[in-house]
Amino acid sequence: MKNNLRKDLPRWLTLLALLVFFVVAARGMETKDWVITLLRGLSVGSVTFLVASGFSLIFGLLDVLNMAHGTVFMLGAYIAWTVYVRPDTFVDLLTPTLLLLSGFTLSTVWKRLVRILKQKGNWLVIVRWAGLAVGIAAMIYILPRYPITIWDVGNYSQSPVTYSYLADQGLINLPQGLPFEEISPMAAVIGLMAASLLTAFSLSTFNSRSQGATSLSWKDFIVYVILFGLGVAALIFNDSLTSFLDGLDTTWLFLIALSVGVMVGVLLGSVMESTLIRPLYSRPIYQLMLTLGLSAIGMEAVRAIWGRPEFVMPKPSLFAGVGDGCPATSLADLWTNHCSTIMLFDGRIRVYNEIFIPLVGIIVLVGIWILLQRSRLGMIIRAGVQDREMVEALGINVQRVFNTVFAMGVGLAVLGGGLAAPSMGLSNAMGETLILNALIALAIGGLTNFPGAALGSLLVGLLQQVIIKYGAIGIPIPFTEIVFKPTPPLVPASTVLLMVFVLLILPNGLLGRKE
Amino acid sequence: MDPILDVQDIHTFIGQYHILQGVSVQVQEGSITALLGRNGAGKTTTLKSIIGLTPAVKGKVFYQGQEIQDMHSFDIASLGIGFVPEHRAIFRDLSVEENLKIAERTKGDLDRKREMIFTLFPDLKRLIHLGGANLSGGQQQMLAIARSLVADNHLLLIDEPSEGLAPVLIEKMITAIQTLSSESTIVLVEQNFLVASQLAEYYVIIEEGQSVKSGKMQDLIEDSETIHRYLGAA
Repeated sequence: MKNNLRKDLPRWLTLLALLVFFVVAARGMETKDWVITLLRGLSVGSVTFLVASGFSLIFGLLDVLNMAHGTVFMLGAYIAWTVYVRPDTFVDLLTPTLLLLSGFTLSTVWKRLVRILKQKGNWLVIVRWAGLAVGIAAMIYILPRYPITIWDVGNYSQSPVTYSYLADQGLINLPQGLPFEEISPMAAVIGLMAASLLTAFSLSTFNSRSQGATSLSWKDFIVYVILFGLGVAALIFNDSLTSFLDGLDTTWLFLIALSVGVMVGVLLGSVMESTLIRPLYSRPIYQLMLTLGLSAIGMEAVRAIWGRPEFVMPKPSLFAGVGDGCPATSLADLWTNHCSTIMLFDGRIRVYNEIFIPLVGIIVLVGIWILLQRSRLGMIIRAGVQDREMVEALGINVQRVFNTVFAMGVGLAVLGGGLAAPSMGLSNAMGETLILNALIALAIGGLTNFPGAALGSLLVGLLQQVIIKYGAIGIPIPFTEIVFKPTPPLVPASTVLLMVFVLLILPNGLLGRKE
Repeated sequence: MDPILDVQDIHTFIGQYHILQGVSVQVQEGSITALLGRNGAGKTTTLKSIIGLTPAVKGKVFYQGQEIQDMHSFDIASLGIGFVPEHRAIFRDLSVEENLKIAERTKGDLDRKREMIFTLFPDLKRLIHLGGANLSGGQQQMLAIARSLVADNHLLLIDEPSEGLAPVLIEKMITAIQTLSSESTIVLVEQNFLVASQLAEYYVIIEEGQSVKSGKMQDLIEDSETIHRYLGAA
């Protein structure tokens, strides 16, 4: 026990030093200032944590440094914005997406088919490439002809910036839906269905290692029918669905936007892992190049679709109230008037940014903690971080667990993006700043340590906000007349300094263990 | 009788190194077979190639008549093969209970086997809530073996069970493995020839990545020349 304490002494001293630093920093401020700084720090920390925790889970279990994590965060913001401000585009996209996905749910059928074809000699190779060619050709033919009401990035009156400006004024201006012209709806549905089945089958033939016994399961068919049915329903009820979403209270719409974002993120993560990352396990340099490349591609794709300028996402109605009774002075006021701000210690606190976001951060933290400690998946993740091979040798399909964890990590980043969009606005650079913050937070807290990710994110958020605050009030230098005001470039620099300080004393981070 | 496990002339690479250059092992149902040989001969790799962790690139492995060399590890294990790696690879961040629980292949496996496992390793019962990192070497080894018993495994691959254990514990381990052999077939890698000769009915000697000699343990014990030549021990 005594031995343990001595070993942990540098850790406790560092934590103490950090605590003293923040207490001293708080003493230099008025009450309302440090309360607001603390809450803002929590807010930035929460968003950072959403990215950092996924990054750390993925790195811990899969040994993959997913440099595209920041891009995914940004993508989350843009997806949430689209669903929120342009529900019509979202509804239009629903049908082709669901139809194209449906084929991939029949994996057990494809496996069975592959096995039959394998016994027939060279047919597999022919069927594989022919299927892929026809499937992709069908997509290339149908998708551009499929009517989707999207904005024109080049046309100012209908660019995302304009939509975003109007939405901020409380107007969501949806253009007329586009009719089917070049292609009949029936042909589009059947064509997309066929394209999906063919590509899904062809892609599944590339999995070279033969599988154990796979039985056809009714569950797959049911999922297939549900996806297909939803896709067709979205087509039939396109108009009424659009006007329903349009008329919905923005709080609900925001929730829908976040959930759609997370679903897309999970899907994206799952596809990324199974197609791009999986062939590169145990080749770290290639993975790094791949994910860096993906991050660049993702950024350009976002630029191409949504355009360059920054735009805003209005806050959901629950946090957007102004006028009578606002800013709220009590919780009851806040509840009845849905105020956007609340008075606390004579300071104005923005409810969404400084209370709601930290709250979500804490909920996610607790949720993941419970998942890791209490569920079977969590048990497998904790075991897999230490020894993947042994987990596999116990008969656990590690590949599937990897896929789940990657998808979950990407889902968390996307959630972070959607959540941050109304508070920090959307820009192409938002991902880069955040991944940097997240990496620093992880280095501070311990790269593969989950509580470390939370602590590191919190420290990064707090430190940045403290420096920003002192940029306004200034630090009087003792025995001189000089008041030092930290300039904005010092904000990111300060977190790097903190990282250097921590790593010099604790090379594995505050909570990390020796590798 | 057909062997339960039939390894036919497998070749395995680790990175660019050609570790196994033709290993054949036949294991009869219900027996204990020991893989013998010097350090670095390829015994551990043979076990890992059977379970699919270092897949064989050439040759075939049959388990209960089914060809398994191209399957994923987890699919191979699910056929009923338990693997106990060397260096007692238990999960340090998991409690003893979780270390056992993670090996469940169907829900409730552990509850069904709990009694049996605790009779075999009474120590584990009292340590059940302890973290894996807090166990002694012998306790970890017992946990590693116990873990392979949670699911219904007919074949156990046990790598170096006596390594680094005190003599008293080795005795315990021998008793435990003997008890197990009444239920399942066991393939054992063992450096300690005394332990191996007490346990195994059959042996296969692996030398520089090739299986060079196999037969009944009884015959090997009397053949001091072979022992001296391949195992370097008297």
